[in-house]
Amino acid sequence: MAARSVLTAWMLLSLAWLAGCSGGADGTAPEGAPSLIVSTSPAGFPKGTNRERAPADNVLTLDRALLGKRLFYDPLLSRTNDISCGTCHQQQFAFADPNTVSIGVDGRTGTRNAPSLVNAAWGKTFFWDGRARSLEEQAGQPIENPLEMDLALADAVAKVAADASYVEGFQQAYGEAPSEASLQKALASFVRSVVSGNSPYDRHLRGDDSDFGPQRKRGEELFLSEKAECFHCHPSGSLSNEGFFNNGSYIEGGDTGREQVTGRVGDLGKFKVPGLRNIAATAPYMHDGSLATLEDVIEHYAAGGRGDPTTDPLIKPLSLSSEEKADLLEFLRSLTDAALLEDARFAP
Amino acid sequence: MGAIAGSATQLTGPLTASRVRRLSRGILKHDRVCTEFVARIGAAHGGGKCKLDGMKLRLSAAIWAGTAGLLGCSSDAHDGAHAHHGEGGAAGSAGASNPSGGASGASGASGAASSGAGAASGGATASACPENPTPLRTAGTIVALPLELVLADKPFVFGQPNALADGGSLVPLNFRFYISEVQLLRASGEPPIAVDVLTAAGAPLPYGVHLFNAEEADSSTLRVLAPPGQYIGLSFALGIKLACNQERPSTLNEPLTDVSQMTWPHTGGFLFLRYEGRYTAPGSAGSAGASSSAPFPPAVHMGGNIMDELVPRVTALGELSVPENGRLEKGLRVVMDDIFKGATSDADVSGMVGLPPTDDSIAGERLRRELPELHVFVLEP
Repeated sequence: MAARSVLTAWMLLSLAWLAGCSGGADGTAPEGAPSLIVSTSPAGFPKGTNRERAPADNVLTLDRALLGKRLFYDPLLSRTNDISCGTCHQQQFAFADPNTVSIGVDGRTGTRNAPSLVNAAWGKTFFWDGRARSLEEQAGQPIENPLEMDLALADAVAKVAADASYVEGFQQAYGEAPSEASLQKALASFVRSVVSGNSPYDRHLRGDDSDFGPQRKRGEELFLSEKAECFHCHPSGSLSNEGFFNNGSYIEGGDTGREQVTGRVGDLGKFKVPGLRNIAATAPYMHDGSLATLEDVIEHYAAGGRGDPTTDPLIKPLSLSSEEKADLLEFLRSLTDAALLEDARFAP
Repeated sequence: MGAIAGSATQLTGPLTASRVRRLSRGILKHDRVCTEFVARIGAAHGGGKCKLDGMKLRLSAAIWAGTAGLLGCSSDAHDGAHAHHGEGGAAGSAGASNPSGGASGASGASGAASSGAGAASGGATASACPENPTPLRTAGTIVALPLELVLADKPFVFGQPNALADGGSLVPLNFRFYISEVQLLRASGEPPIAVDVLTAAGAPLPYGVHLFNAEEADSSTLRVLAPPGQYIGLSFALGIKLACNQERPSTLNEPLTDVSQMTWPHTGGFLFLRYEGRYTAPGSAGSAGASSSAPFPPAVHMGGNIMDELVPRVTALGELSVPENGRLEKGLRVVMDDIFKGATSDADVSGMVGLPPTDDSIAGERLRRELPELHVFVLEP
C-alpha cells in the first residue's frame, strides 16, 4: 500500500514536471521537500529552476536524472567495480564524505575532502579548485582519476554498453547508445536534480520561524555582521559567492588549490567558497578535511587562520565570546535539511 | 548620527521626514536596531511584515511605501526588496532610468550624497533596473576598449608579484568593478551621446552593466555600440545606478548576483569597485592583514548606499575616431596608481552612509570622493 502511494506520488510529480510545473508560485522559493526533477532555486540562490540552469544540450528530464542516479550509485564505473560516485558522496552526509580525504580504488587515498553536491545546479565552477566549469565537465573526472575510480571513460562506456538495460536507458534518455558525453550528461542531470531548500533557515527566509529560535537568530545576525564577517564570502541566502579565497587553511608546502588551475602566484592556497546548506552533516571541513567539527571551523576563523602569509587580507582574528561562538554554531546547524538526507528519491 | 541610531530609546518620537531620514542613516551603521526601526515604520503605516534579513532590509510593500514616502524616495524603487515575497508592486522611477543622463550629478565628489529624491516618485510599471533595457540604437560601430591595468606606467599583472619602486612587490588578489551608463564625449560643448554596452557577441549587456573581473579574461574588454564620428573621450558610471543598487541580488541575474562578489551589506547595496592585494615590503614575507595606511592598502571596497545616488562618474579623455564601417579597438588604461592614491588619501569621509566604516570601506569612500581629482581611466593615444 505504501509502495503504491509512493508510486502514485511519483507519477503525479512526474506529470507535474512534464507539464512544466516548477514549484513556488513566485519563482524564487521552493516549497516542501526537494524534487528529483525540477526545483525552484532555494531562497537567496540565483534565479531560475535547476532545469533552467542546465545547458541547452542537456535539458533536465526525468529519464536523464534517473539514468544518472543509477550510474551515480553503480560501482561499475570504477576499475575495481567497488567504488561508485556515491561512495564518496553519501546522501546521509549531504552527498559529502565523512572521510578526511576520499578513499578510492585499492584503498588509495585522495588529496581532498569530497565536497557536498547539494544545490550544484546553481554552481558556477566545480571541484575545490574550480577546474570544471560545468557539471558535465566535472562528472567524468573522478571516474578517470587514478586515486578515485581509476577507469578511462572509454572503458566505462564499454562496461555500461555491455548491459542491455543501460543501453535501453541511454536510448530513452538521449536517443543514442552510451557514449562518454551522454554518460557525463546523465551523471550531471542527477546531480543537478539534488536540491536542498527546506532547512529551518530556508523556512526562516520564507517567513516561518517555528524552528528558528532566538539563538539561531542571534547566530544569523552575527554571521551577517562585520564582527564575524562570514557573509562576505557566504552572503545571505545563497551562502556562497562561488569565489576562490585563501581562508587561512593553507600552509606552505600544502595543496596549492586554485593555483594549480591558473598558475597565478596570487591563487596560492585559494579554494572555492563552499555553500553551507547542510554543513552540519558534511564533516570534516575545509578542502583537506583537516577540521573535524564545526566548532573547529569557528575556532579556525576566530584565530584568523593558520598564519601563513598568503592568507587573504580579509581573514583576520575575530573577537568572539564563547556565547557568540555557540550562537554561530546553532545558526550553522539550522542549515540542515533533514529530509534531504533520507529522501528516498535520491537514495540508491 | 551614530548616537541617534545607537540608542533604541531615541527611536521614539514623531516620525517626521527628516527624522526618519536621520534614523535610517544611523541604522545603516547600526543594523541591530533595524528591526525596531522597521517595526516602528510598519506600525506607523498600517503594519505588515517586516524583518531584517541580515543586512538586507526586507520590507513589505506597505512599509516601503511609507518609508520611501517619508524619505522622499520612490517606493517602487525598492521593489526588489520585497519582490522576494512575491508581493508584486510597481517599479519605476529613478532618474537614472534614462541611460543617457543617469549618472549626471553623481560626480563622486564628497558632496555627492544627494537626496534619495533623485529617485522620483511614480507608479510606472516597468522596472527601474531592467534586465533587458531598450537598446538606444540598432546600428553603429562596435568600439572595443580592452581594459589594461597599469601601475607606474607598467602592466599590473593580476595574480602575480608586481615589482615596486621601493623594492617590494604587490600581488593583486581580487579586482573587479562595474561600468554602466557609458557616454561618448563630443567637442565644443555638444551633449554627450549615450551608448549601449555590449557582450562579446554584440548583444546589449543585461542591465546595461559591465562587470570587469580581473580573474576572467572574458570581462577584460568593454564594448559599446557607437555612432560613427569624432569624440574626445568617454565617461561612465563607475558602479551601478541607484535603482539597481536597491535590488536584491536573488531577484537579479548576473552580473548582479552574489557570484559577482560585489554584494556586501545591502545597506550599502553592491560594491562599485573591489580590490584586494598583498603587499610585500622589501625584505619581508608578506603583509596579510596590513593596515590601510600602507602605501598599498590590502583592501579597497568602494560602494554607496541604498538611498542615495552615489555612483561616481569618471571620464577618460582621448581621441576616439569611430569609423562608419568595421570596428574600433582602443586600450583603456586603468591606472592603479590613482586608485591607491585615492584610497590612501586623507579625504574627509564624514557623513559616510551605507557600508560599515571599516578600513576597506573607508579606503573605498576616500577613493570615491577623490575620483574627480584623479585619472583612474585613460584612453591610450
